[in-house]
Amino acid sequence: MARVGVFVCFCGANIADYVDVPQVVEEVKRIKEVKFATEYKYMCSDPGQGMIRDAIVQNKLTSIVVAACSPRMHEKTFRKALSDAGMNPYLLEVANIREHSSWVHQKDKKAATEKAMDLCRMAVAKSIANEQLHEISVPVTKRALVIGGGIAGIQAALDIADARIPVVLVERSPSIGGKMAQLDETFPTLDCAQCILTPKMVDVASHPYIELIPYSEVIELQGFVGNYKVRIKKKASYVNFKTCTGCGACWQKCPVKVPNEYNMGIDKRKAIYTPFPQAVPNKPVIDAEHCTMLTKGKCGICAKVCDKGSIDYTMQDEIIEREIGAVVVATGYDMWDPKPYEEYGVGRFKDIITSLEFERMVSANGPTNGVPIRPSDGKVPKNVVFIKCVGSRDEAKGIEYCSKICCMYTTKHTILLHHKVHDSHAYVFYMDIRAAGKGYEEFVKKAQVDTGTTYLRGRVSKIYKKGDKLMVRGEDAQLGQVVEVEADMVVLATAVSAPKDNPDLARLLGISYDKYGYLSEAHPKLRPVETAKAGIFLAGCTQAPKDIPETVSQASACAAKVCGLFAGDTMKKDPMVSTINNEYCSGCQNCVKVCPYGAIVTDDVPIGHGSKELRTVAKINEGVCQGCGSCVAICRSMAINLAGFTDPQIINEIVSI
Amino acid sequence: MNYTKQIQDIASQLFAEGKIDVFVGYRLNGFDDNQVPVLIKDPQDVHKLVFTDKSVFNLVNYLKTDHTRRKRVGLVVKGCDSRSLNLMLTENQVKRENIYVVGICCEGVTDDAGQKMQNCVDCMVPDAVVSDELLGTASGADTLTYKMNADVAALSNIPLTERAAYFEEVFENCIRCNACRHSCPLCYCAKCCIDQETATLYNGANTTSAAFHALMTWSLHLAGRCVDCRNCEKACPSHLPLHLLHKQNESVIFENFQEHLAGVIPEDRGAFYKYSLKDPDDFIM
Repeated sequence: MARVGVFVCFCGANIADYVDVPQVVEEVKRIKEVKFATEYKYMCSDPGQGMIRDAIVQNKLTSIVVAACSPRMHEKTFRKALSDAGMNPYLLEVANIREHSSWVHQKDKKAATEKAMDLCRMAVAKSIANEQLHEISVPVTKRALVIGGGIAGIQAALDIADARIPVVLVERSPSIGGKMAQLDETFPTLDCAQCILTPKMVDVASHPYIELIPYSEVIELQGFVGNYKVRIKKKASYVNFKTCTGCGACWQKCPVKVPNEYNMGIDKRKAIYTPFPQAVPNKPVIDAEHCTMLTKGKCGICAKVCDKGSIDYTMQDEIIEREIGAVVVATGYDMWDPKPYEEYGVGRFKDIITSLEFERMVSANGPTNGVPIRPSDGKVPKNVVFIKCVGSRDEAKGIEYCSKICCMYTTKHTILLHHKVHDSHAYVFYMDIRAAGKGYEEFVKKAQVDTGTTYLRGRVSKIYKKGDKLMVRGEDAQLGQVVEVEADMVVLATAVSAPKDNPDLARLLGISYDKYGYLSEAHPKLRPVETAKAGIFLAGCTQAPKDIPETVSQASACAAKVCGLFAGDTMKKDPMVSTINNEYCSGCQNCVKVCPYGAIVTDDVPIGHGSKELRTVAKINEGVCQGCGSCVAICRSMAINLAGFTDPQIINEIVSI
Repeated sequence: MNYTKQIQDIASQLFAEGKIDVFVGYRLNGFDDNQVPVLIKDPQDVHKLVFTDKSVFNLVNYLKTDHTRRKRVGLVVKGCDSRSLNLMLTENQVKRENIYVVGICCEGVTDDAGQKMQNCVDCMVPDAVVSDELLGTASGADTLTYKMNADVAALSNIPLTERAAYFEEVFENCIRCNACRHSCPLCYCAKCCIDQETATLYNGANTTSAAFHALMTWSLHLAGRCVDCRNCEKACPSHLPLHLLHKQNESVIFENFQEHLAGVIPEDRGAFYKYSLKDPDDFIM
């Protein structure tokens, strides 16, 4: 006969304010299997856990129900309490009366209480059929995959590799470096981005524990934490990197000119190119879309001038497979396209540029040798208007969130403008100045004094052309009047947006993303770098807009998580895995098809006892099974049971209410 | 429609060449012009085989028996039957190389009264979709237009409560004999979930609710798989209108899951067993 103990938590006021906890306790006491029931203010605290431990021993309980918060929150805590009392931890059942009752039924205490009772009755009924389960131990592949070679991916890769764990770093473009490689100087200290980034890029290339695979994309991830298999598509570069010396003869002679992505299309690059002179690896690739040899079969100049014979027009995409144990996703961000701001004349007026275009202009290795110029006539602008929150904090045209970095980089841009064009004047239209961060407020204050920038609090309503000037009409909310500023150039601080193919990547990796396309962390406060899928971590702007210091911190945090994961040779795994009853299995293999982890294979068993004839049935690899239950749902023969969620347990739950 | 001669010839030749151990076809029942399935193991019996518009049963069901399992079988299939064979192949119940399929381009079969069967009126795939040899002239229809079953259409106009009452009344006649299940080629499970010890929901003795549960479960396990051969209805001693369940499921699935029709495409497991980005997800919050 089962002897169930029920422990109902107040969760401070979280549950107790909306659910009549003593009444719930009285109700569960009526169930004949319940031999002990009590309540406490914080069941997860040490005294609360002590009550559970004592009750188990004193009342010879055979299973435990804790009615409290979500099992995601404290199931582990309470399992440990059971273990400490000498009981199998999987005899615990959690009734979630907080998220599932008190929080969602705050206006109706009676109904919330009744629902809490139902949840407890179900948990008690289920716990009666609970069985003792034991942790499974699986081997770990100690190699990490880092997706994205921006500063986040670089930092994560270096930190993991420094712990002597092999890293595979996959970068989509021909060079690592990401957005940071496009920056001139960085706030709030005005360090030159190249000077602090490129040494790290070189470290990545030369690190004995890092395998850098540039110009590649992840196309498939299979398996589970500690034992993933990744397939990487290495795009054809048409250049043999082993023999290429990066001498540059090919791109000097290439006759095809293409807008240069690195310089935001301000100047041109060739069809065979390295993205920028400091690229890592510093080997060129051929842009197959524009190369006339590859598109029309005419030209071949690069092959002629290459004295190493490194050009190979027949090169094909290559699929690389690696076994890895953990993944760090660091795919960065995209700049938001300001096209919806038609009243600004975006697209019509050439002298309206985005902040990243401005960044390239003022950059020492930029297309204009560090001098900002008007795209329309090449003149150096004197009056420059910076407009902040273009796309950010704009529910009507853009996105609701604050992009976090624009206040600071616009401040930086006013300084850079002042440095490059001494007699210039900057105007900044802003909504708020958000300068929370170490040294940030001081940076903004100093810049305002040093540059003499005019700050105008308000939104810009219209930009129109007057002669060769742009007239920026906006509101000065502090004076409460409309202002017009005559500008030579306008710089839009466009929002940070999620990479547009993040949803595809998320689907491929089996992780979740939010409505903007940013990848979702497991818990916004307590698990900010983990995803809900074990062994996959997030670094940098792929999770939310961030500045460089934050990105680097998060990347290092990912590295710490990966190192922690790989600390032992084996990993403990929850025993909630599927089992197959061979007698009932009809061998239709629907489970094999639906299993998202590839955990089900087929096996040949005798058709009857002692028979030599064989039939095919499904077989679970319990090291791979993650207990999602897809196979259980799909099995018409009901031949599959999920430990911890067996048919008797579920039916008990259903019948109990 | 009469392919008696051709089928007898094919069967004789298959036996003569030693290609098959057993031939599954139709014979006259011996009382009237109605037919019953027959398993021919002796080449001498080939003359018993017939095929006319009275060849109503889906013979794929006989691939489940010990007489045919792991044997080399000759088999006659009409359009609907061939779709269930396709599913049996996809679901790894039979091996293609073990079966010699005589496919029929079916013109429809008739009931006892000589009327064209309702499923033949609704038929969308008259020609066998899998065969080694095809008899008759192909219908030549390239595109698939869904033919809504008249009974299902009529029923969907009735308010939900009345519909529920109608079904409760109809299912009350179920005697839980499971003939529907045994006659269905796609009910091949080693032990049906309805009979399992843990499946307490179906064990309420012979109450309406348990019968209802059992039939609903059965129809959902066939959703996206049922080919509308009506073996179940022919077998049902209580004359339950089982096609109402299956055709309803079929129409909903055709509409919502990329015009899926069971068993038409080889290796297509059906709407519930594959995932497509086009699947409807508006019910997810």
